[in-house]
Amino acid sequence: MEFDTLQVRFGEIAHVVSSNFQKLPGSAMLARYIQSSYQNDPVRSAIELILVLFFIRYLMSPSYSTHKQNFVKLREGEIEELIDEWTPEPLVADQTLIEEIENEKLPVIVGPTGPKVKLSNGRTAINLASYNFYNFNANDQIKEKAIQTLRTYGVGPCGPPQFYGTQDVHEKAEADISSFLGTEACIVYAQTFSTVSSVIPSFCKRGDVIIADAAANYSIRKGLQISRSNIRWFKHGDMGDLEKVMKSVVNEQAKSGKLTRRFVVTEGLFETTGDVTDLPRLVELKEKYKFRIILDETWSFGVLGRTGRGLTEAQNVDPQQVDMIIGSLSGPLCAGGGFCAGSKDVIVHQRITSSAYTYSAALPAMLAMTASESVKLLQSNPDVLVQCRENIRALRAQLDPRSDWVVCTSSLDNPILLLALKPEVIKARRLTVDDQEKILMECVEESLANGVMITRLKTRPYANAMGAKDGDWTLQPSLKVCVTSALSKKDIEKAGITIRHAITKIMTRKSANKTI
Amino acid sequence: MPRRLANPFSSSQSAMSASEKTGERRLSSSKTNRLSQLFSSSPKSKDQAAMHQSQMSTISPSTVSLPTISLSTATGESNTVEPTTTLFKPQSAEEVERRQRVEAQFGPLLSPEHLYTSQAAGKPFERPIEDEAPYYYLLTTYLSYLALILFGHVRDFFGKRFGDRKRYQPLKIHNGFAPLNDDFDSFYTRRLKTRLDDCFARTTVGVPGRFITLKDRKSDDYNYTYRYTGTYTETLNMSSYNYLGFAQSEGPCADAVEECVKKYGATFASPRADSGTSDLALEVEREIASFVGKPDAMVFSMGYVTNSSTFPALVSKGCLIISDELNHASIRIGARLSGAVIQSFKHNDMGHLERVLREAISQGQPRTHRPWKKILLVVEGLYSMEGTMVNLPGILELKRKYKFYLFIDEAHSIGALGPHGRGVCDYYGVDTSEVDILMGTLTKSFGANGGYIAAEKHIIDKLRSTNASTIFGEAPAPSVLMQILASLKLINGDICPGQGEERLKRIAFNSRYLRLGLKRLGMIVTGHDDSPIIPVLLYNPGKMPAFSRQMLARKISVVVVGYPATPLISSRARFCVSAAHNKDDLDRMLIACDEVADLLQLKYSTGIAGGLDPLPEGVAPEDEAEWRKNTGTPIKAPRWKVEDVIRRGVVDCKLPLR
Repeated sequence: MEFDTLQVRFGEIAHVVSSNFQKLPGSAMLARYIQSSYQNDPVRSAIELILVLFFIRYLMSPSYSTHKQNFVKLREGEIEELIDEWTPEPLVADQTLIEEIENEKLPVIVGPTGPKVKLSNGRTAINLASYNFYNFNANDQIKEKAIQTLRTYGVGPCGPPQFYGTQDVHEKAEADISSFLGTEACIVYAQTFSTVSSVIPSFCKRGDVIIADAAANYSIRKGLQISRSNIRWFKHGDMGDLEKVMKSVVNEQAKSGKLTRRFVVTEGLFETTGDVTDLPRLVELKEKYKFRIILDETWSFGVLGRTGRGLTEAQNVDPQQVDMIIGSLSGPLCAGGGFCAGSKDVIVHQRITSSAYTYSAALPAMLAMTASESVKLLQSNPDVLVQCRENIRALRAQLDPRSDWVVCTSSLDNPILLLALKPEVIKARRLTVDDQEKILMECVEESLANGVMITRLKTRPYANAMGAKDGDWTLQPSLKVCVTSALSKKDIEKAGITIRHAITKIMTRKSANKTI
Repeated sequence: MPRRLANPFSSSQSAMSASEKTGERRLSSSKTNRLSQLFSSSPKSKDQAAMHQSQMSTISPSTVSLPTISLSTATGESNTVEPTTTLFKPQSAEEVERRQRVEAQFGPLLSPEHLYTSQAAGKPFERPIEDEAPYYYLLTTYLSYLALILFGHVRDFFGKRFGDRKRYQPLKIHNGFAPLNDDFDSFYTRRLKTRLDDCFARTTVGVPGRFITLKDRKSDDYNYTYRYTGTYTETLNMSSYNYLGFAQSEGPCADAVEECVKKYGATFASPRADSGTSDLALEVEREIASFVGKPDAMVFSMGYVTNSSTFPALVSKGCLIISDELNHASIRIGARLSGAVIQSFKHNDMGHLERVLREAISQGQPRTHRPWKKILLVVEGLYSMEGTMVNLPGILELKRKYKFYLFIDEAHSIGALGPHGRGVCDYYGVDTSEVDILMGTLTKSFGANGGYIAAEKHIIDKLRSTNASTIFGEAPAPSVLMQILASLKLINGDICPGQGEERLKRIAFNSRYLRLGLKRLGMIVTGHDDSPIIPVLLYNPGKMPAFSRQMLARKISVVVVGYPATPLISSRARFCVSAAHNKDDLDRMLIACDEVADLLQLKYSTGIAGGLDPLPEGVAPEDEAEWRKNTGTPIKAPRWKVEDVIRRGVVDCKLPLR
């Protein structure tokens, strides 16, 4: 019964299909053609059928090979054996001697950070190791604001900015920073370290060209690595070399007729050398060769310029001519997080494509508010900068010209004095990078033993970072001495003398000579 | 005298204060709200009815929950309540206001029945059954995307030629510069996301606790720009990762943080490796290590960076990272930075994982066939988009045989799972020594910021010297550290004993209650029963903004997620349950979901994933399959009335969910 209806139904459908087929223009011709061509030729039919089947299989198969080319087929028993035999390396290697000493000697601060700190060994030391240049950390006005914010917002925003993590304090901080800097817009990240390494890949994609300064800091290198762009390097701070590289990139692209995005990545004040970029020249080159500038002002924002607006203020460049300015709120501003300032398009684009912004929780409201407050403080009270610069001069005078052993590579206004061993000393004693590290580590210890806490520029992570092997630039291990305006000139000078003596003591020690 | 909070009238007053709040909200309610209320039965009246009902059904809730609800216990005052002195004293306006503020951040517990312990019941791990929507919805979803893409391209084509110059400039070659955004790359953002942009990045004010206050905004140019209307809306917060309700501006944690800011200031202004290591940071690390059950731990100032800087410190070229396909972006970035080879396996699929492992170990490195230096398996404890938990017992079984190292990202599970809130290991009753590295964030359950890594001491020691973000990244702020410390102590019961335990039990109850309720209403819910992340599938892209706006009209803020965070077809709304919610809030949520689901046709579950009608008398849940076979009862699609859902929910959600 059911079968019958099915048959009838099938017949109907077949009828409809054939009648529709006949209605198509040219269908009769097609039918005739097929009929005639297959009538007497079963071989041809078979071949064509196989072709059709092959075609279908080809369409269905994935477009890439599913197995690596040199896949070795193994029997189950062999696989089991291999699995039994395989012994992995330990998850982490053993600590090296220098790492062990470093961990052990790491100073632990008890209580707040400031110009003078208490250490866990019970002693008090002068702190020339933190970025608290203006001692905003001890500012009562900022503290009060932070507590007020705590009492209205709690601590964490409990969500990423796109999902209800954006609070009005973040918007206020962004507006404050962009109006301070003089850019159209600004975006606040939850951590400085990850800001630039997330900004770069949000704009630079595969195929784009980035020209980076050879001395770029670790974060930038990580950003370059993620971006998968075409990376070129230019000699540190050498605008002539930059122009040469730019020209060659432009020529190449003109030849291939392909215009990609092109960027120059450099720093305001360099983390690794402490010197400064020639921004007016850079902007000139940018306009000439059509590159966009990503300027990492992590160490210059809040430091350079009359009111601390950074490199653009110090060198009288319109900030709108720099496409992206990246800065830190966690250093001298004593808040937390980082920011990127630029045109509106640039900022809006980051809000969903920059991974450190979209995939991370927003900055705690207290820290955003603190950032707003310290920007306001800088604006209303540029005297702290003047005072800080005086201290920089005083400290520098004690270290750079008077020491036989070290030379300061930092620019004159940089509150972070990087002291590297003099090239002639290195040459005379044939010191490797590791030796220098060891000597400087001892200098840090000696200085702390005499009541002045300083620190070192860490070079080890750079060994594996991108670009370290390219070019002739090598990272120079240095001492890092951070000036603060909270100390009197006398104290600073005294601290400078202590550091100088500590260096001399280590360098003239018998054992130091022995290692030669 | 905060002691007065604990008076027997508190529950009736809470109802009153709630109605006052609704009154306020009416004032600020927008037009869409009134319109939607016209079409739907008023959520408010039902809301209050439900509240009333819950009061009737429970026996004097306030007295029972007296020691636990009031945050006043947190201030360390003695707990001897003298009811006679406080009973009839009217509360001062200030007091009432303060209490309202506290309760807007952390709702009072209505009944001790609303507690549950989050724990694997000792059964073997079961993958949650995935329900599927009828083909009609899948087809219309594809068609919607097709239409969106077509329209987008047509608009791009004409826009670039005749459109607003300023808007299209970033897409065109301008003054010799290549366009900043590829129009292909940004197509999704411009043409799809902009349409529902008002559902994202809503600006909030104040604490993201039980309620969250949104700054009302309006767009006159289809979401290109917004302007604030100057009004605020207080909404029920189903969106923040505030699992244990520590987003508070009052109470022991906030008090501790205030003291800390006074003492320490706002920052340490230095990386950990320079001069950013403080006694506070070390104490927090010790506390975290003992909390998660590992010998040592380290904290970071950002959760994202914890992952992205730790992988390069653990693995390198010649190593293999095997990663769940749904792992978070920070893991992927970290893995990419490490230089190791990356392979993924199907989400939570142990069979596939074993195949991948066997092939990887037997074949060795690509081309050279050298054996791998080490293999690191990376999974998350609780997946943020799916609500699924990792199959930890299954993985540990494989680990014993295949000798890989295990890294668990507990970003969402720490605090939110397990009888002691210690994450997936606690939940499954697994010894933490079997897991090599436990990573987690402090943003979510602890209401702070940052992340941690916990492992054996020698591993942490090595990481301290090789992890780039310890060396160059800023140290966590003192206020953040103190928040972590205070909340950990509270969970452990070191301060305010009982409060931490209550929070853990409340989130466990709330998660199950809401999940069961939504299933019974007929919506498709993914994930495990105990997960506080509750995604509801919406499918059609147009339903994302519709759902979000409809919920907003009902004063509930939810997160909607679509492609590319999820597969193209399974757009979803995601609810994050918190210990700060109480049953009233969840009932309000259920009522709203019921209405919106009717409006948007979201009830398409088939019943295979749970939410079924109750079994007849005398049939035990274990015998259900047999009973169905014997009587020939098919699985009926669940479409419960919301009143029944609320009535039966409390009892049923503590039984095995079905």
